[in-house]
Amino acid sequence: MAAIPVQNYTLVITGAPYSSQAPQTALLFAEAAITAGHTVDRVFLYGDGVHLASALVTPPSDESHWPALWAKFLTDNAIPGIACIASALRRGLVNESEQKRYALPASNLLDPFTIAGLGEWVEGTMTSSRVIYFHGGG
Amino acid sequence: MSKSTLIVIDQPPYGAWAGREALDMAFSLAAFDQRVSLLFMGAGVNWLRKSQETSEIEQKSVEKNLSAAPVFGVEKLYADAAACDQYSLFPESMIAGVVITESSSELIRQHSHTAFAG
Repeated sequence: MAAIPVQNYTLVITGAPYSSQAPQTALLFAEAAITAGHTVDRVFLYGDGVHLASALVTPPSDESHWPALWAKFLTDNAIPGIACIASALRRGLVNESEQKRYALPASNLLDPFTIAGLGEWVEGTMTSSRVIYFHGGG
Repeated sequence: MSKSTLIVIDQPPYGAWAGREALDMAFSLAAFDQRVSLLFMGAGVNWLRKSQETSEIEQKSVEKNLSAAPVFGVEKLYADAAACDQYSLFPESMIAGVVITESSSELIRQHSHTAFAG
């Protein structure tokens, strides 16, 4: 069998954890891609997908903790995880600088996720060999 | 094939938010001088209706956002012909400049990248 050319992926997650399977499917895809020798350039959270970057998510202890699992994967593999700022602010996901800017009572962005604009996604479409979307469906 | 993106909006303008976020994706590509067009299909064709009146549902009309598309550099607005039929959306009740397409699959083939918001 001919070797599959090495791909560098941008992954876009638009489905929220616990209301869709998108974050789980995306994580399994990302792990498989890296195991197979491909690279993941960045993970971009858009729409309801930004809930994956909340530090306040607290599932029951016998359920998978998708934000924590994703945070560990991103850290272990030095992959940037970026939440769209417009999607994040609408849904109550803020880092410390947005907390200050809008005088909010708390911030809740999970490390190592960052908040940035759609330009990060645009750059992914320009520079990655593949952009794969994980939607909530429904 | 030069690199171009087709953003697909298949959700109605009200009752779902994903279409608005898909429109933001299109505007963002255009802002970075990337080629981008929009395809409306399924319930998404209702975005293209003229004279939308939204004060009763206390939401902003999407019509004004969409009319900015050519100004921002979005190349084409396509509407799926079958979906227009299904929702009784005729050219005279549509905003200006919409191209009706009989084959969405062919359109997707003509673009290097296709994205749905969710």
